Amino acid sequence: MNSIASLAIALAVFSGMGLSLTAQEKPGAEAIIEKSQKAFYYAGADMRAKVVMNLITDSGQKRTRVLTMLRKNDPKSEDQKYFLYFHEPGDVRRMAFLVWKYPERDDDRWIFVPALNMARRVAASDSRSSFVGSDFTYEDVSGRDIGADTHTLLREEKLGASDCFVVQSVPKARMDYTKKLSWIDKATSLPVKEEYYDAQNELARVFTADKVEEFTAQGGGRKASFSIVTQRTMKNVKSGHRTEVTYSDVALNLGLEDALFTERSLQNPPAKWIQ
Amino acid sequence: MIARLLDRLSGFSADHPKSVLVLVLIVTLAFASLLPRITVDTDPKHMLPVTSPVRQYNDQVEKDFALHADVIVLGIVNEGGIANRATLSRIIELTRAIQALPGVISRDVTSLSTIDNVLSEKGELIIRPALERVPESPAELEAFRKALLENPLFVNRIVSADETTTAVYVPIDPKSNGKQIADAIRSLLPRDPGQDRFYIAGDPVARDTFGTEMFRQMALFSPVAGMIMCLLLWLMFRSAALVAANMAVTMVSIVWSMGLLIGLGYPVHIMSSMSPIFLMAIATDSVHIFNEFAFRFPETKSKRQAILETMSAVGGPVFYSDVTTAAGFASLATAPIIPVKIFGLVIAFGTLVILLLSFTLVPAILALLPERSIPRASAGAKGEGPAGLVRFGAFCVRHGKSIAVMGTVLLAVAGVGLALLRVNNNMVHWFKPNSEVRTADRVMNAHLGGTSLGYLVVQGRAEDAIKDPAMLRGIENLQRELEKDPRVGKTFSVADYVKRINRVLHGDAPAFDRVPDTAGEVGQYLFLFGTSAKPSDLDNVVDYPFQRANVQVQLKSWDAGVMRDVIRRTQAYLAAHPLPGDAAVQPAGTAYFNLVWNDEVLWGMLASFSVGLVLVLVLLTLQMRSLLWGLLAFLPLLFTIALIYGVVGLIGKDFDMPVAVLSTLSLGLAVDFAIHFVARFRERYRQKPDLDQALIWTAARPGRGIFLNAILFAAGFAVMVFADLTPYITVGVFMAAIMLLSALASVMLLPGLVRLFQPVLFKKGGAP
Repeated sequence: MNSIASLAIALAVFSGMGLSLTAQEKPGAEAIIEKSQKAFYYAGADMRAKVVMNLITDSGQKRTRVLTMLRKNDPKSEDQKYFLYFHEPGDVRRMAFLVWKYPERDDDRWIFVPALNMARRVAASDSRSSFVGSDFTYEDVSGRDIGADTHTLLREEKLGASDCFVVQSVPKARMDYTKKLSWIDKATSLPVKEEYYDAQNELARVFTADKVEEFTAQGGGRKASFSIVTQRTMKNVKSGHRTEVTYSDVALNLGLEDALFTERSLQNPPAKWIQ
Repeated sequence: MIARLLDRLSGFSADHPKSVLVLVLIVTLAFASLLPRITVDTDPKHMLPVTSPVRQYNDQVEKDFALHADVIVLGIVNEGGIANRATLSRIIELTRAIQALPGVISRDVTSLSTIDNVLSEKGELIIRPALERVPESPAELEAFRKALLENPLFVNRIVSADETTTAVYVPIDPKSNGKQIADAIRSLLPRDPGQDRFYIAGDPVARDTFGTEMFRQMALFSPVAGMIMCLLLWLMFRSAALVAANMAVTMVSIVWSMGLLIGLGYPVHIMSSMSPIFLMAIATDSVHIFNEFAFRFPETKSKRQAILETMSAVGGPVFYSDVTTAAGFASLATAPIIPVKIFGLVIAFGTLVILLLSFTLVPAILALLPERSIPRASAGAKGEGPAGLVRFGAFCVRHGKSIAVMGTVLLAVAGVGLALLRVNNNMVHWFKPNSEVRTADRVMNAHLGGTSLGYLVVQGRAEDAIKDPAMLRGIENLQRELEKDPRVGKTFSVADYVKRINRVLHGDAPAFDRVPDTAGEVGQYLFLFGTSAKPSDLDNVVDYPFQRANVQVQLKSWDAGVMRDVIRRTQAYLAAHPLPGDAAVQPAGTAYFNLVWNDEVLWGMLASFSVGLVLVLVLLTLQMRSLLWGLLAFLPLLFTIALIYGVVGLIGKDFDMPVAVLSTLSLGLAVDFAIHFVARFRERYRQKPDLDQALIWTAARPGRGIFLNAILFAAGFAVMVFADLTPYITVGVFMAAIMLLSALASVMLLPGLVRLFQPVLFKKGGAP
């Protein structure tokens, strides 16, 4: 770990300690979640990663998806653009998704079907639906509108080596889940673990951040450090199905152009970014 | 030697009645102390052990395709069409509420509001729940209607072609109780349903409702049957003490057997819940003792003497008829179904307890009988027996040949009926036609594809075999072939999804409603579908490596034979049109499970039945010390059983599981009367070697006991005709018929047969 990162963590821990001194200055649950979403979904101005996703059934059958993910944040808002290019399985090679994400309204999505050499607009399905057949929902992958839930700070506790805030988020509208508990690392603001409770008020899905790595990148003229969850698992405890995701070749602040995130580039994927 | 032992036992009991009573009481209290440990198992599914291959295979298929064995179907019918705002919002609300019920597998509840629709709108590809929110305007409602009916994946599965019916499929945890969840769903239904009508069907509802009802009905009918038997017994002998003696034998045998069952740690299963009523009926055997005692007392005028003589006269037949009954039930131990096995052994044990009590408790109670009350009991029992029965006996002796000819004719008719027997099983038919379960099933099957679900699992040679367009076309053609059977209401497979996506991606052009030409397209379509729809949508029809596909076949009938025909048709079709790589197709699913279960039970019962027959014949031969006399006593049993099954065949009733179980039960019971008849006749003939007189005496005096016993037994079971479950009605009618018929067959056929085969039976001219 480089010195800047350790300094950042030390500062974060210190400020966390400082905040815990007086009850009044305690961060609100909403602020914690907001900060966590920023760290988790918005790291850097843009990001590229090679993603390996393993879908594993209860009986051990496995499907693997390998894709390149490009992400760019809109500098002026919370909007984001994603470009997902599939390498595997073999018969879907070159298939690609383009997602323009807006926190408070439906996404715009496009898909490219190589066998038909055709890009099509896809209606934003329920953001709670499964992301490419995995145990993650679209929302789990790209974030959820903070105002859609009521957040409560339940307690602070140590989970493994991390000092965590435990925040409960209850959806305001009726959803497929009734509440979510998040253990948020005070140091990195990243979620260490999340528990989703279903309509029967039973634990249904568990997210765990299994490995967090530090990456440095140029940002605003100087080097910045980012904590990225490079291994994560979402397990459906009811069906026994789980999805393991590993990031590699992570790079941030690459200066990805807006032109990358257009329907045109679905047909002609940017070879530079997706080897 | 046995006879001497029994005489000494009954002699001791008659001399020390109080000690016997106390001893029986102590043992009974010991067994009774085990009763509070009772555990109850109402699940008929537990009939087949977890290790049975079909159960394991089915479990594996369900696991591989993320399927659920137990699915409740909630049908919503609105004759004006379900596409109205009230009904649609109800569907959304109900689906949510059902998903919150404990025991329901929420994630896989399938209704209009959770099932994914794939459609194309203004060039946009849409994959989302068919009913995400209630359409606001009439135009939106119309668009919704159109989208629904245009998707062939939906029609007959989630919506009927005439739009009047929709279904909510509710998979439940295999450990939870289908009836309880069905009741919980029922409580969610609106109090004021308007035009909507609701029906709850499905295998777990039928099964668990049946299990629960069975217990309830047994708890209701056992005491009623007991009371009726007591009343009849009192009318027959006018003696409260005799009634009490019979009741004591019944209660003691029930307590000992149930105590043993519970004490050994077995749960009381639906099968063993019938034990009390069976033991009650078997305990009526003591009527033979009462009957003979009623005759003997006026003859000897000494109570002790009458008891000893009675026990020595009827002891043999009572002993052997109880032993054959026990053997008949014990032969169920060879059955493949554990609860049936346990039931057989419990009743066999209970019968032996009754046997023991007949030589201990019964003589003890008779010894305690106040002498002045006895003449009343003997009122109907004087000298040679009731005049009516004497005349009847004489008639049977005189017309022996005609009766034999008539019997042969009846046997021939029964033979025709036996040839017509249709082996089948249908659990829904275990309920009465107007019952809620059966009505729901009928309505759902009339509107949708069918409440019974079978699977055909296509086994590809290698990974990705299913993505081969030729394979998908083969599967599609197989589906069309299966749908030619009108009882197959709906089939669907991965081919249907591929066709649907092909069409939608081509701007909804009907020409593309087909399997595409390249595996690449298939793979990408499936991937595309898998990226947007619920994962289980795809998992249900194709496995992870795309090596195996699951064709779901909805059947409109729970008849085991329908699935058999589906399998036959599949095999015939595949023989002529093999799938690529000669991929095999294997059946699975609840419909298949029921078919196998049905066959296993039926064949298992047939095997037990054969074992029982041989056992009974061996016992008869041993008792009579002659194969010929054994065969003679065996004939009324054969006649009775042939006749009963002949009638079952002739009236077109299915030879189903309850009937199959009954066949074995009836064995040891139907032979009892012939044992009494033959044994008492031979005894009499030895004393007074006048053939005709001995036969008439037997028909009249032990005959009275036989008929009283048959009537008592039949009356006890006849109560069950009023049960709500058809298998109980079957049991009631069947048992009553068997007892009456075997009593008649014994008394009517045997005199003629004895005279007919006189030269062979009495070879040396001496006593038989």
